Amino acid sequence: MDLTSSLESLIPALEASLRQTASLDELDEIQVAFLGRKGSLARLMGCLPELPAAERPAFGRIANTVKERLTALVEERRRHLVEEREQSYLARFDPSLPGRAPWQGTLHPITLVMEEICDVFQAMGFEVASGPEVETDFYNFEALNFPPDHPARDMQDTLFVAEGVVLRTHTSPIQIRAMLERARPPVAVIAPGKVYRRDSDLTHTPMFHQIEGLLVDTRVTFAELRGTLTMFARQVFGSDVAVRFRPSFFPFTEPSVEVDISCILCAGEGQNADGSACRVCKGTGWLEILGAGMVDPNVFSAVGYDPESCSGFAFGLGVERVAMLKYGITDLRMFFENDLRFLTQFA
Amino acid sequence: MLLSLNWLREFVPFEGTAEDLGGRLTMAGLELDGIARPFAALAPVVVGFVARCGRHPQADHLSVCRVDVGDEALDIVCGAPNVAEGQKVAVARVGVTLPNGMQIRKATLRGAPSEGMICSEAELGLSSDHEGILVLDPSAGIGARLPDALKLDDEILDIAVTPNRGDCLSVLGLARETAALCRLPLNLPRIRPEETGSPAELSLSLEVADAALCPLYQGRIIENVVARKSPAQLRFRLQAVGVRAISSLVDVTNYILMELGQPLHAFDLDRVRGGRIIVRGADPGEVLVTLDGQKRELLPSDITIRDTLASVGLGGIMGGLDSEITAETRRVFLECAIFHPSSIRRTARRLSLNSDAAYRFERGVDQTGAAYALDKAAAMMASLSGGSVRPGVLRVELRPWKAPLLTLRKRKAEDLLGVSLDDAFCAGTLTRLGCAVAALPADGGEPEPGTAWEVAPPGHRPDLTREADLIEELARVYGLDRIEPVVPSIVRPLSRAGSPESAHHFRIRVKQWAKGLGLNETINYSFVSHRELDVFDPLADAPGRISILNPLTDEQNVLRTLLAPGLLSALRNNLAQGSPGARFFEIATAFTADAASVTTAREEQRLGLLFSGARFDADWPQVQADADFQDLAGVLQHLLRAFSLPAADLRPADPAAYPWLAPAVTIHVGDTPLGFLGRVKPATADSYHARKPVWLAECNLDTLHGLYLAVRTAFTPLPVFPPIRRDITFICAPGITHARILEAITALPLPLLADVRLIDCFEPQGTGERHLTYRLTFRHPERTLKDAEADKQRDAVASALPGIIAVRL
Repeated sequence: MDLTSSLESLIPALEASLRQTASLDELDEIQVAFLGRKGSLARLMGCLPELPAAERPAFGRIANTVKERLTALVEERRRHLVEEREQSYLARFDPSLPGRAPWQGTLHPITLVMEEICDVFQAMGFEVASGPEVETDFYNFEALNFPPDHPARDMQDTLFVAEGVVLRTHTSPIQIRAMLERARPPVAVIAPGKVYRRDSDLTHTPMFHQIEGLLVDTRVTFAELRGTLTMFARQVFGSDVAVRFRPSFFPFTEPSVEVDISCILCAGEGQNADGSACRVCKGTGWLEILGAGMVDPNVFSAVGYDPESCSGFAFGLGVERVAMLKYGITDLRMFFENDLRFLTQFA
Repeated sequence: MLLSLNWLREFVPFEGTAEDLGGRLTMAGLELDGIARPFAALAPVVVGFVARCGRHPQADHLSVCRVDVGDEALDIVCGAPNVAEGQKVAVARVGVTLPNGMQIRKATLRGAPSEGMICSEAELGLSSDHEGILVLDPSAGIGARLPDALKLDDEILDIAVTPNRGDCLSVLGLARETAALCRLPLNLPRIRPEETGSPAELSLSLEVADAALCPLYQGRIIENVVARKSPAQLRFRLQAVGVRAISSLVDVTNYILMELGQPLHAFDLDRVRGGRIIVRGADPGEVLVTLDGQKRELLPSDITIRDTLASVGLGGIMGGLDSEITAETRRVFLECAIFHPSSIRRTARRLSLNSDAAYRFERGVDQTGAAYALDKAAAMMASLSGGSVRPGVLRVELRPWKAPLLTLRKRKAEDLLGVSLDDAFCAGTLTRLGCAVAALPADGGEPEPGTAWEVAPPGHRPDLTREADLIEELARVYGLDRIEPVVPSIVRPLSRAGSPESAHHFRIRVKQWAKGLGLNETINYSFVSHRELDVFDPLADAPGRISILNPLTDEQNVLRTLLAPGLLSALRNNLAQGSPGARFFEIATAFTADAASVTTAREEQRLGLLFSGARFDADWPQVQADADFQDLAGVLQHLLRAFSLPAADLRPADPAAYPWLAPAVTIHVGDTPLGFLGRVKPATADSYHARKPVWLAECNLDTLHGLYLAVRTAFTPLPVFPPIRRDITFICAPGITHARILEAITALPLPLLADVRLIDCFEPQGTGERHLTYRLTFRHPERTLKDAEADKQRDAVASALPGIIAVRL
């Protein structure tokens, strides 16, 4: 066989190989075998110098034609294989397979509720304040108008760490710290934090969370306390929620109130659709959610504010209580067991 | 406070239901906790008339009765010895279930039919008296409901009384409140006991040492008494409000306590020696056996009631055993005194002696009502126990009660409440609450003189001492729910602008970072046990811990000095539930003792991280593995990057500082220590039931916050010329760390080296050596680098390093 026919025979040889080719990897190998630097075509081209000079241009033309044809055949086969691969991928594609999942993080429901409440008050202009969890009797009781040996102290069973030093029983000492720090009105703070009581049963844990609020200015009214807490209740529990203020007693506020919202389960009806008493509000239609009042003049005196020239309100709410209502959690202790099956329900 | 509606109605003509009253009181600050109907089971029991009563023909101890119950006559066989013709009795008809669970059925007793039961007090749940059937007053109407016939206190309101309202710890107090709220008259009949015999002062004299501790001490002598069983209605009434009936002498003191709120004490006068009662502090080291049989060691600050020889009672708290009323008592000294609230409270708390008397004295008892209470009690005692009251009240009142004179300015009330008030409402409300109210002349000094009053509160309201207290009364009666809400405009002073981010906000941002990264937040108790802490805290005996003086349990007797115990407990809880692993974080306070702190504590905000078990929540397409050091270290470095801080430097820690971790490393940012990280030693992990490695880290968030606040982020221009990268692999002898290699490379004089990073780590088995591959990035700031220049720099590293540390290429 002369060189020219050898050259031309590459075309059917390649066609035969391509017919056997099922993958792009094989195609690459065949491409190298025919068209590579040491491939069949190159080998035949290497014989060019052996030809008489007169035959060389014709051979060169044929070689070019063959090269173009070979290249076209390979590319055509490549297009086909790529298309085949694409079709096959699409045919096998299963959108229901799980994704490569990044870790799923969660915030504790107490954090979620605390932040939601703080956000409501911050939007109204309150600043977030904090204070220590180990407190002196002065901040926790005395400055808040709990005299020593007063039965009001029975309202909060206290854990002591030293004579006159307690684990704070409420977030109210932060009121005192905030007023002392600012030295004069206005003071508008919201203070979330852990508090401690010597109490443990189905409805009490020795550690729980409160949010304290305090607004002091030259002329703050009880009507504004109502407005602030009604705003809070609606923002957190929905616009249809009704708010009820009942007189009560706290040493550091006068007048003092307990604030109820209409039951979120029975919508304040006190009973379920079938007429049975509502489990959440025990048939009363109301849920107690916080305590509040106008700052007692003795508290102002304790921090050096003149009760004649300023007034204010304060409130404190239990975060666990709000979280239980909001999420329908029935067992208080679940908050501190940190069961992932519980934690991962909140994000 | 358990309040009987019927009892209340003896003082105030309240016509509404128990629910109505509860609602009114609740909205006035006296919250209704519930309504009990203690005699509800007796509603179907009726009054019957024993028309005939004869002996059962077959049984001596049984009677066959014909009982008229109004609408019919029943044959009833009765076993009680005291049943007799003509009696009015309590009849339970067939079908009735008695409080003791007994169901009445039609029966035939030895041939005689019986269609019901004539009941005893015990069967009716009224007392433990089985002696015979309950015989009713002849005036009882045949067929009437038994609760009505007995005038039982069948509706009992449980009212939560706040500590400031000691006056409402009585029927009278709540009746006063009801009268004021509902504008009803208060009915308080005058009572004077009939007095006979020689003046009381001939038998007993009184002496009070301290006016502050005992402003009023008084009493009466009642003679020739015999303790009996009290009349049924009194006994049932006491039972309805939770007081056990004892005898006609003792029951009177309890009755008056519940009705008028005045604690009384009855002494057996024949056991008071020397004809003299002295009220003073105890002698040092004195011991008194109280009524409950307990030996009480007394302090001079405790108020004692004494005869000429010794203490006979603990004033205002509990009487002494030796002077107790007994069945033999014939002469009674009935004490009706006022004691100082906080002194009573101190003694009662110290002795853990919480009597009804102490509870009321702590909250304040009406000194102006004491005389009335004494007279009523003496009259009742004489009448119920067949005695006579000696003439005269023995009385020492060293400090008569004096009403404070308060000024109430209407404008002040309006400013505080945010409503406008009517003059007549203000004066009328306070008057109805028992205050003496007098209008003050308008103050000419003010441009718009407001109305003002001088107010003298009544003796039963010692809580009203200031204008603010009066404003509260106005608000309470006005109705807090009627005040229209107003949203305040909060003024923020300019002086607070530009303050650094608060600790709270920083904590929240760290929490958001952790959540976003995929960690689960836990909240654990701040207290743990000393025993648990001993594992973590090498300085068990050092004064670093803050103990709780009165812990609820030994499991919670010290504040945590680190977060690890809580995180590990959370892990244990989850492993017990079959969780394959955990990635926890917690942000909380670690407490250590600090003598320089006014609170005795140093509180450090910490971030705790715990990784254990399955690295991924899901399996395919992830390749599941146990979480390891790289997981936790990576998260930690991510935290620092997230707050624009340089990478942390992790160095081997002093093992003695972390005896529960191996390996243990410290975390530094630059030279600032930030915390620690390590693997919990298997023995410790095992005590939390963790079989897989547990990796734990704690960072001081206060430090991190400080570092973060100091960060000043400045833009770096982007490089203009392209880099050239070269890889290099070192075969490292054991002990040669990644940090050591980095340090050696970066110390070389290589001006074009822009970055070095580890791209592979391979540990062939058996040699102890590691193959670490680094990618070196070279760049010239002002021109495009040539390949040859990069090669030259790489070769410089390759040739220099083996001379510096134990590595080869």
